[in-house]
Amino acid sequence: MNKKLEFKGTKLLILVFIAYIFLFIFDNTNALEALNKSKNILSTLLPIFAFIIILTALINYFLKPKQILKHFGEDSGKAGVFYSIIGGILSHGPMYAWYSMLSDMRKHGLKDGLIAVFFYSRAVKLPLLPLMIGIFGITYTIVINIYIVLFAIIQGKIIDKLMK
Amino acid sequence: MKQKQQEPSFKKAMINSIKSFASILPVMFSIIGIVGIFQIYITPSMISSFFGYGNLADIFTGTLAGAVATGHGSISFIIAEGLKEQGVSLYALSTFTLAWVTLGLIQLPAEASVFGVKFTFYRNILAFFSTMIIAYLTIITIGLFS
Repeated sequence: MNKKLEFKGTKLLILVFIAYIFLFIFDNTNALEALNKSKNILSTLLPIFAFIIILTALINYFLKPKQILKHFGEDSGKAGVFYSIIGGILSHGPMYAWYSMLSDMRKHGLKDGLIAVFFYSRAVKLPLLPLMIGIFGITYTIVINIYIVLFAIIQGKIIDKLMK
Repeated sequence: MKQKQQEPSFKKAMINSIKSFASILPVMFSIIGIVGIFQIYITPSMISSFFGYGNLADIFTGTLAGAVATGHGSISFIIAEGLKEQGVSLYALSTFTLAWVTLGLIQLPAEASVFGVKFTFYRNILAFFSTMIIAYLTIITIGLFS
């Protein structure tokens, strides 16, 4: 079935647009710099966006709604939590880049708790581990990352109870 | 008459995926626009200046500053390294770096428009308290090892 295109966040975009107009009027130099920063962020994110579009298509193609429900739905159990943690840890780019994929999977039965697990697990940043060890030490790095995963699971359980 | 159910093709899955992504483009552009403004007005040196007012205040500042700040996670560690040299507590630095990657005040409206206000509210409140508890537990735990 083909989806109907409905835009989300248009009011927010209008507000941001107005904010930029004000900035251009009152602080032209910084407004230009802010716009330039945004442009740079966007160009850095383009490959991540492409990756997410392809990943969402692959999920939709290989995982039928029934399977999404089985792996990430109400009865997904520990396996669903495990996949969400791994997905969160491995996911790159900012949190908002993943909104479309998660929103799409949510429509097919992805549990809210697992979205929370995914989001919090993203705090385990594999590429940044060497930097973290260099600044805070190896014991600190291991301990904090274990707690992050543990609290991601706890948050997921609480969210599921609260959203019922 | 029984109709044969058609298997969706990859092309269709791709089109649907592009449509899903396109539907939240206003959200994406909004956040990217706000991040641009924040990165100009809230600089690393400004964030550093918020610390140094006592342990408890630093912990709270760490969580809030991390939640407001934007940018790559590595920036939070670089700022944290400078703050560590200034004598800011490890507890405050932990809340700061953790809040940087788990909380996003500027993403709240966008998250709410995609996942709903209720989910966004609960998730962020939980993430906020988790950040402070994790920092506390981490310091306590590494204290046991040293």
